[in-house]
Amino acid sequence: MKDDTALELDQVRRVYGPVVAVDNVSLAVKRGEFVTLLGPSGSGKTSTLRLVGGQERLHSGVIRINGARIDHLPSYERDTATIFQSGALFPHKTVAENVAYGLRMRKVPKPEMETRIREALDIVQLKGFESRYPSQLSGGQKQRAALARSLAVRPAILLFDEPLSALDLSLRLQLRAEIKRLHDELKFSAIYVTHDQGEAMAMSSRVAVMNHGRIEQIGKPEQIFHHPANEFVYNFIGESCQMRVRVTGSTVTDRTGQHLSLTLQSGLADGEWRLYVRPSRFRLADAAAEAPNRLKAQVQFIEFLGDVYRYHLKAGALEVFADHGGSIGHTVGETIDVGWSTQDMERFQ
Amino acid sequence: MTVVDPSQDAIFEAARKRIKRRNRIAPWLLLVPALVIVLIFFGIPTLYMARMSFNLHFDQRLYVPGFTVEHYVNLFSNPLFTNAILTTTVLSLLASSFTVVIGYAFAMLVWLKPAHWRLMFVGLALCPLLISEITIIFGWWMFFPKNGLLSYALLSAGLITNKISLMYTEFAAFVGLVYLTLPYCFFILLSIFDGIDKRLIEASGDLGARPFTTFHEVLLPLTRSGILVAFSQAFIWTMGTYATPSALGPDTLWTMGFLIQDQMLGKQNWPMASALSMVLVLGVAAVMLLTSSLKSKRSSFHV
Repeated sequence: MKDDTALELDQVRRVYGPVVAVDNVSLAVKRGEFVTLLGPSGSGKTSTLRLVGGQERLHSGVIRINGARIDHLPSYERDTATIFQSGALFPHKTVAENVAYGLRMRKVPKPEMETRIREALDIVQLKGFESRYPSQLSGGQKQRAALARSLAVRPAILLFDEPLSALDLSLRLQLRAEIKRLHDELKFSAIYVTHDQGEAMAMSSRVAVMNHGRIEQIGKPEQIFHHPANEFVYNFIGESCQMRVRVTGSTVTDRTGQHLSLTLQSGLADGEWRLYVRPSRFRLADAAAEAPNRLKAQVQFIEFLGDVYRYHLKAGALEVFADHGGSIGHTVGETIDVGWSTQDMERFQ
Repeated sequence: MTVVDPSQDAIFEAARKRIKRRNRIAPWLLLVPALVIVLIFFGIPTLYMARMSFNLHFDQRLYVPGFTVEHYVNLFSNPLFTNAILTTTVLSLLASSFTVVIGYAFAMLVWLKPAHWRLMFVGLALCPLLISEITIIFGWWMFFPKNGLLSYALLSAGLITNKISLMYTEFAAFVGLVYLTLPYCFFILLSIFDGIDKRLIEASGDLGARPFTTFHEVLLPLTRSGILVAFSQAFIWTMGTYATPSALGPDTLWTMGFLIQDQMLGKQNWPMASALSMVLVLGVAAVMLLTSSLKSKRSSFHV
């Protein structure tokens, strides 16, 4: 249905000199949907967001908000509101004045304005902070205030530009949960830009993984995680171990030509392969004995990560790490079996 | 086992008091070098000047020790002096305001431009500071006269039909003063702009403010203290300077700087020159107090 599309990007392109920052990106955000643009730095995710917000101009393509074309409009005529990484609160205005700003620009009548300021500060739990200046707020409170400022104008779409990346970990997790709660409550439409896959997975209705200005894959977080469309997505999402092997007939060697004791359930065609397995999917030592895919590798060192032990293993030039819940009774220097099932492995040639 | 020894307690108490006392006087001690320099180079000469302004003057002698307020009475009753005070103040106010406007626009432009333009603009702004005031005056002497650059340029552009001279006009003096103080205003304002997060402009636009509203609601309040500082320094400078308005302005343009020089070297009347200087110093101080009281109490904003 066309009607429930809050934001639509159609073949949007943005170039900086020789660099294509956003390369014909098409994306539709449904009303009430929370879509995350996830990607490494320089992948074009922030540029895409700024194209929507109007801080950058696009070279070709169309952007529509609620069905109306807006890509020719200046930022101040677009029904968007951005939450910046720095918060970008006006330092000479109090929290309440900051929240009022967008409402004043939209000429909201005074009584309604006051109600909306109160509501906005209420939902971000900044009640009682109305007359504080931004310099009197903590990092987390600043971002809450920025969120309130954007929420108060009730935009067609909220744009989050890595709003949590400047905060420390515990605060990040806390605010992340809070934004999710707010989204569940208020059902606003949003684009959220981040390079933190944890944030992307935890908050989003859908995740768009970006690389080199293109969307590599878009889908529900589970879909992205369990069924990556390509090697980039597989590598970028979650931890994985890469094994680069060369297959010639029945022998398998590493890149340097050293023979590997690697058994695979289904044989691979001749050539160079990159095999990926998530560290949590490995089975070790005795548990690996019946695994359809097995590699003999030497334990290099063991890290204690709290919930699991991480075994760093080496076979020829291959280096893998496997997470295991407890001790396996083998120590550094011993050669053990590493096993995994075929559906846990991705292979790329 | 801890044994509370009352004598030990007293020792600690004494030590605590000593530290407290030291913390109280430390800031003052640290201020001493600066204070001594200020007193020797500015305080004592000013006091000397204040005393000088009450000395007597007769018989073509530079000054005769004594006490009189006749110079001050003269200063505020003689139209020669009152006019000079008025002329200087008006000229300085105009020149400083204009300088701040140009400097503000220029600083904002440099701040908004991408970083690679910055060096060029900052270099350009530095150029006039490398040239002495006298050399700059010689430059203006080639610019304003009938056969000067300005006349030639206007003629070539077809804006005028006969050569004109703007040399020795109030306008020339005004331009000279603006040129003199512009670099300082520019750097003061640029440093203020540099302290502002550029995202604020984006945030303002994002929330629906048009560019002019953004300027008026965000940039202007955040640069207010800078504007006041730039204005005060331009005003101090233009009030006190003597060479530029004397060399470029008409013979009838008698600024306070000119009169002080005239009383000191021409009329050999040191007490009168001192009285004029005192009025100048106090007037400038009054303007500085006024501008600093206009500064918002929250003079610095940390994002």
